[in-house]
Amino acid sequence: MAINPYETPRERMRTRLERTRRQFLFLMGGLAATGSLVLGGFKLLGFMFPAATNDAPLKFKTNTTTPPVTFDDLTGGVSNGKAVNGAAVRSITADRVTIVLDEAGIYAVYLICTHLGCTPNYTTTVTAGSGVSDSVAAKRGVRSASEQKPDGWACPCHGSRYFIDSTNFYGPAPRPMDWVDVQVSPDGYFVVDRGSIVAYRQPGDQTPPQWRLLVDTRKDNGKTLGV
Amino acid sequence: MTEHLGDYATEMSATPGEVNPVRAFVAQLWGSIFRHGLPTTDKVAARTALTNFFLHIHPVRVKRSAIRVSYTLCLGGLSFFLFILLTITGLFLMFYYIPSVDQAYQNVKDLEFVATFGLVIRNMHRWAAHGMVITVWLHMARVFYQGAYKPPREFNWAIGTLLLLTTLLLSFSGYLLPWDQLAVWAITVGTNMAKYAPIAGPYTRYLLLGGRGVAQGALIRFYVLHVIALPLIGFLLMVVHFWRVRKDGFTGGL
Repeated sequence: MAINPYETPRERMRTRLERTRRQFLFLMGGLAATGSLVLGGFKLLGFMFPAATNDAPLKFKTNTTTPPVTFDDLTGGVSNGKAVNGAAVRSITADRVTIVLDEAGIYAVYLICTHLGCTPNYTTTVTAGSGVSDSVAAKRGVRSASEQKPDGWACPCHGSRYFIDSTNFYGPAPRPMDWVDVQVSPDGYFVVDRGSIVAYRQPGDQTPPQWRLLVDTRKDNGKTLGV
Repeated sequence: MTEHLGDYATEMSATPGEVNPVRAFVAQLWGSIFRHGLPTTDKVAARTALTNFFLHIHPVRVKRSAIRVSYTLCLGGLSFFLFILLTITGLFLMFYYIPSVDQAYQNVKDLEFVATFGLVIRNMHRWAAHGMVITVWLHMARVFYQGAYKPPREFNWAIGTLLLLTTLLLSFSGYLLPWDQLAVWAITVGTNMAKYAPIAGPYTRYLLLGGRGVAQGALIRFYVLHVIALPLIGFLLMVVHFWRVRKDGFTGGL
């Protein structure tokens, strides 16, 4: 700023104050503008996070699935409080659920690979090439000797394998797949609620979940695990 | 500005010395677009390069050693060429492609089997996309091994890393659009990888997919990113990148 030789010290002080006042107003204005942009921008980001989505509902009934699955179809009917079929499996791959029947009852596995989220496929040769013997896989689940087979799920993306109780034993999957709630509707179909996890196991947890939909009462036993 | 055309307006006139109005108009029109004649001398060549938009990206003078092809291998230029090719072929593909889970796959099949030259254009887009990822990587390696990221070019190196990221994101977002099994599961895997990031991970996945899984919400988001947002960001970064290449100068040879 050029020096004005006619300016008195008092005037010079006033000029300087004037300048700092202007700087102060610029600072405040700048802060207000920046602050409103940052805060407004942050809230605007909410636009990209829809409060509701058009995803398929997590709860579904097995009458419209491919294939449709009924209680009688899976169990083969009930006599003396036991399922006629000793063990059975129905995979509803499009909805990412397999419904499993064993001696203890019925459970549903949510087929989301715990590695990176692909859909593992049900297979009766789950141990092939894994170095795990067939008998180890066959003994999983609550099954009589005649019903035991080395079955489970294999993920097509990176080769993770799971026993029939959804415990991981091979490949990059860090932990078992989750079990979800399954009930029987009055008309004999299943109602699977993928939003309600009944068995959640941490990495390394080999515990077979005890949760079952009981065949005789058609009610679940409430023995959830890790939820 | 139109001095080199001065004669053109008069020489062919019926009456010598008289200005033909039509020729004068043509001369003015031509001269308004092309400010110089053929660059027959160094001076005119320099002025041409300075005043022409399409030529101004080149420096007026460079050292012979700086334009040796074996020095840069033209990798940046190849990347840019592929970007242009992808923009044009992508524009063609957009005439047939509808980002809907019910139609996308069928549209791609239509491109391959129904649209004339559709297969060629789709394959050009696909291979150019693969090629661009390769050339951008090689370009970065070339710049790195020659130490061309050192001052005064640090800022341009930073812009370049953003351009690499943009290229990879373009490649990733374009992967979903055919909506086949490969696409859906690749994006499932990719967005689940993003989910592993601390704190921001699950938000990032939801932001990318616009839902819980790879469905319609994800398709339209990836489409918008692929055809509008990322090419625009890439274009703006390229403008700055090229400007800085010019301003930082050419060394040529180590």
